[in-house]
Amino acid sequence: MKKVMFCMGIICVVFLMVTPASAARPGFDKKEIRIGQWGPQTGPAAPWGSVARGSGLLFNVVNEQGGIHGRKIKYFIRDDQYNPAQTVAVVKELVEREGVFAFVGGVGGACGKAVMDYLGKNKIIWVGPSAAITDFVFPPKPYIFAVYPLYEDEGSILTKFVVEKLKAKKIGFFYQNDAYGKDGLEGGRKRLATYQMNFVEEIPVEPGEKDLTSQMLKFKNAGAEVVLMFVNPTVATIALKTCATIDYKPQWVSSDTLSDYGLMFKITGGLWEGVITGAFGMTPTADHPLLNMYREAAKKYAPEERWGTFYLAGIVFADPLVEALKRVGPKLSTEACLKQLNSLKDHQTIGPKVTWTPQIHQGTDSIQVQKCGPNAEYILLQDWTSNDLATWKKQPAKKK
Amino acid sequence: MIEQLIVEGLAIGACYGLFGVAVAIIYKTSEVVNFAQGEMGMIATFVAFHVLTVYHVPFWLAFIITMVFAMLLGMLIEICFLRPAKDPTVLGLIIITLGAEMLLMGLAGWKWGAEQKDFPFLLSVQKTHEILPGLTVNEWSMGVFVLAAVIMVFLFLFFRYSRLGIAMRATQQNVNAAKIMGIKVERVFSITWAMSSLIGAVAAMFFAARSVLDPNFMMEPFMRAFAAAVLGGLTSIPGVVVGGILLGLIENFFGYAWPEWKPIVAFVVIIIIITVRPSGLFAKHYIKKV
Repeated sequence: MKKVMFCMGIICVVFLMVTPASAARPGFDKKEIRIGQWGPQTGPAAPWGSVARGSGLLFNVVNEQGGIHGRKIKYFIRDDQYNPAQTVAVVKELVEREGVFAFVGGVGGACGKAVMDYLGKNKIIWVGPSAAITDFVFPPKPYIFAVYPLYEDEGSILTKFVVEKLKAKKIGFFYQNDAYGKDGLEGGRKRLATYQMNFVEEIPVEPGEKDLTSQMLKFKNAGAEVVLMFVNPTVATIALKTCATIDYKPQWVSSDTLSDYGLMFKITGGLWEGVITGAFGMTPTADHPLLNMYREAAKKYAPEERWGTFYLAGIVFADPLVEALKRVGPKLSTEACLKQLNSLKDHQTIGPKVTWTPQIHQGTDSIQVQKCGPNAEYILLQDWTSNDLATWKKQPAKKK
Repeated sequence: MIEQLIVEGLAIGACYGLFGVAVAIIYKTSEVVNFAQGEMGMIATFVAFHVLTVYHVPFWLAFIITMVFAMLLGMLIEICFLRPAKDPTVLGLIIITLGAEMLLMGLAGWKWGAEQKDFPFLLSVQKTHEILPGLTVNEWSMGVFVLAAVIMVFLFLFFRYSRLGIAMRATQQNVNAAKIMGIKVERVFSITWAMSSLIGAVAAMFFAARSVLDPNFMMEPFMRAFAAAVLGGLTSIPGVVVGGILLGLIENFFGYAWPEWKPIVAFVVIIIIITVRPSGLFAKHYIKKV
């Protein structure tokens, strides 16, 4: 018995010694570069799982074109079910067992925060977190590079659009009672202050609320002509249906999180027509050479996939890493890749222009403004617009 | 504005009450709180959605199919999950219902996916009628009022005068005595679960028409309906409906004045009432001697 225990002890020690060795793998060899992404493929947030699959389309296209300096991208998607505990597990598995070089995307603020420090300690590059969480890049983390525009910037740009283009005098703000909604509200408030205006109503909502009558009646009673909303798809749907019930028809303006018109039009029974939203990527129906190429590739690699905003977001978030890897050349290393990421300037494909410096790892403050037309068509109202009130570009170190 | 708040509060409250009745029926018979109630309604609504959108049958036929499915589902859960438990405690049975809840949610996610869907319901929240100047009532609300009233009256009469209803009450009060009196308690339990599942499915379809259909859509309504049932009294069918209506009104008025406190105000009120009157507003308070 003692011999058996002794042998098992030896095996355990050997196993423990082997694991860190695999974690120290560089994440690439002469034939491949290993890149990973977590995302909800099942569970309540599964509709956002298309982000990870969209990145996969980009890597398929890159591999079809011969890879990057002779190396093909080996891509790993892991389902974390939008559960931070699961995110930790799958990220550790990808780092320590598969030895990934970098991560891209990654849906969920809480999920990302759960692995942020771990990735930093293991010197794993993470490009394009799929959530506008300021903690990711303020103060700048050496290995994290954000593409997603901050909700504060988006709130500011959309409010400017409402005041200057829609000429609205009475504006309401309907926001999810968390960092997402509050950041949007803060941006809107700062913008309105420049016009010496205030929101006529600022109403918070919990993500699971099913009855919004009192909130909508409050907006109606305040005479809000335009209501900005930073909420989730279900709450937005209930809000629009409730307004139809109480005969209240404001102009709705929403954050980019609700810019998947195909989905929103369907679940609101057509009420989404006329809603204006921000957007962090080109309209999926835009006639652009690069977008057309991806559209054709999707028919080949993912014919069952819906060609929507979040699928394209996967390309937008992963694209800067591909660009940096191309610029590095054949002598790949984490340091060389970081150097290229830190010097990326005005890089633009189907998303906003992305610029990173060693001091600023928030890549953009720009969004487009779009409108949902009949049959969920995308109508571009305003091209890429940056937030002239964004303070982080001037004082990045002070932002928390 | 106040009239509109009242009408909308009554409507959503009646829907909470209706779903609360589904919870209360099982509790009346077995003293078990069925935490799978929301997901049973969710699955039934998905079945209705599937029949409507895939087979394009008329709504009335889809409704009948869904009701039959809901009853079978309720009986199936009782027979397959609860009945096999050996000498179960109430806590043990509640945990079994929690397991059933997770199973049903996983099943719906696997079959229909997590993406939200628009449920094509017969009564629309968008079709409104101006009953007084400035006061509109939508078809959805009118449907809830009528259905809640009909079901409440039916169940009240059923439990008071029908043999089966009396057998259910007897089973709840003392299972062994009910057996001695010749009541087939296992059959009573199955019928109870079938009835509860049917009423829950009707309420769930109303909730889906008001919001969106996805595997999680009944989680929050279940919490509210359970709260309404506790408020009114879990063993009183009219009490549960009145509890739901009170909840809807309190939420709407408080939510209008202080929107940030809306999600919790109902629960605060319930805690206060339960502290003062543990069995709820309308249920009789029984004390069991050991």
